[in-house]
Amino acid sequence: MPQVEYRGMLLMVPENDSEFGGYFEAAREHRLVVKKCAGCGLLRFPPGSGCPWCTSLDWTWQEVSGKGAIYSYEIIAHAIQPGFRDLTPYPVIIVELDEQRGAPTPQDGLRLIANLVDAQFQPEAEANVAIGKRVDVVFQDLSPDLSLPQFRLTDEPPAGPVWQFPG
Amino acid sequence: MGRLTDKYCIAGVGETSYSKNSGKTTRAMGAEAIRNAMRDAGLSADQVNGVLSYHGGDSTAGPEIAADLGIRPDFYMDCSGGGSSTEALVGLAIGAIEVGMCETVAIFRSMNGYSEVRIGGTGRRAATPVAGSQLLSRPYGMVSAGQNFAPVFMRHMMEYGTASAQVAAVKVAHSKHASNNPKAYYRKRYTVEDVLNSRWICKPLHLLDCCVETDNATALIVTSAERAADLRRRPVYVMGVVGRVTKKRGDTFYNDAPITDVAGKYAAERVFGMAGVGPEDVHVTGSYDAFTFTTMLQLEDYGFCRKGEGGDYVSSGIIELGGRRPNNTSGGHLCEGYTHGMSMVIENVRQLRGQADDSCPGWQDGVHTHDYAEGGCRQVREAEISMNLGWANPVTGSALILRR
Repeated sequence: MPQVEYRGMLLMVPENDSEFGGYFEAAREHRLVVKKCAGCGLLRFPPGSGCPWCTSLDWTWQEVSGKGAIYSYEIIAHAIQPGFRDLTPYPVIIVELDEQRGAPTPQDGLRLIANLVDAQFQPEAEANVAIGKRVDVVFQDLSPDLSLPQFRLTDEPPAGPVWQFPG
Repeated sequence: MGRLTDKYCIAGVGETSYSKNSGKTTRAMGAEAIRNAMRDAGLSADQVNGVLSYHGGDSTAGPEIAADLGIRPDFYMDCSGGGSSTEALVGLAIGAIEVGMCETVAIFRSMNGYSEVRIGGTGRRAATPVAGSQLLSRPYGMVSAGQNFAPVFMRHMMEYGTASAQVAAVKVAHSKHASNNPKAYYRKRYTVEDVLNSRWICKPLHLLDCCVETDNATALIVTSAERAADLRRRPVYVMGVVGRVTKKRGDTFYNDAPITDVAGKYAAERVFGMAGVGPEDVHVTGSYDAFTFTTMLQLEDYGFCRKGEGGDYVSSGIIELGGRRPNNTSGGHLCEGYTHGMSMVIENVRQLRGQADDSCPGWQDGVHTHDYAEGGCRQVREAEISMNLGWANPVTGSALILRR
């Protein structure tokens, strides 16, 4: 059972975790996966047990590119967990992946939470964080058997308007 | 006529004091709050036979507290949950009475929310292993309610141009109200500048955008109008109630877009339809002000203003005492104390009775000056209909419409 002590928390993926087991197995291999419904073919994240669109309980893991854009964010100045104090201020972002954006309805998308990090997995500078900016997945190895998907800014131009918190 | 017209009411309310170190167990505080509510209603222990509560693994179960007061329940439930539970349990209490499971229900919430189990996931909660869906947020340093909700607030600022100074007006209004509430934990009045100059917690939230954390217990008594007719207080009638209405993706706050829409958009039609009134008929509101922003989001999605215009609405003066529709006249979670929603229902009951417990010498007899200067009155003139907007998180909410 993969488990690791990380910043004062015990992170663990139990053997029977049918939602996240495969997700973190792939992350250990530095691949980002989501669930693909065997019934209707739609991708979904988080990797829930059934398909929210067709209720099928059959699925497979599907690798995605890991490319996307910042959908929203926050800058945490006051860490709640003592283990995160040395990281403040750190950005937490919602990433919207390129795959299946705007489907099956225009409001839908594959969205996940991560930190925006630099090349050393340190928090990206606040001045560089903005909604709409392009990002790509990277994997932070916490132990030999547990890795966290994280995101970095890319050089790609944003597809639409970019918005930053004014103050 | 709505389906609930004149059938059920809140007959008693009570609470403990608000502190950061109660020095008591949740059992002792729960008993004190229920006892205060029973005395408020004029009920003896043998006249209460239902007990409902909600908790997050941080409280004492109903039967223990009932035993301390000599109450023998014919019905009790301890539900898991925090915000949005109060209104939902009022509905469940009505259902239990309606089918004959019991006649009179005490609803309580008891929590040492500062000294024992804080909401943010520190202390006892921090020792719990992180697994399952929590792996999607906690390892990224996203733990507390503020950290979980802030990206929703940020997105609202982007989509609608909402400004920090606008939502700061919520703190200004609620602190004005708290200054006229002798039992409020924080009674100091704040300005917009005070909020904007307070330190950052998680942008876009300043310290003063966030509510206080306190130790306290709160309680309500729900019974039939028939039973309440000869009790001590004027009954406050339930017109409409909805509980734990949830958006399509109750598992996350960032999947059912627009993420800036909250559960109230689904709850509004049902609760107003049941009550047979609309937002314009409501004289006083009670929002779940865990943060300044949550008040704004709820007022928008229940239709007190148009979607996206919440920033203008909350900064217009409408929500202040003396304004057209005051909100959280006790000071709410931002100032009075943090109760997971019950205190704002208690306050609205007192408003509808005309007995807001302010500094007016005659408040017990419903005599008020309506002078809202600091340290004065907080009774809303001719308050006849109130509404509570319960909130668990952006995707789950409850609501309760009451009348005098």
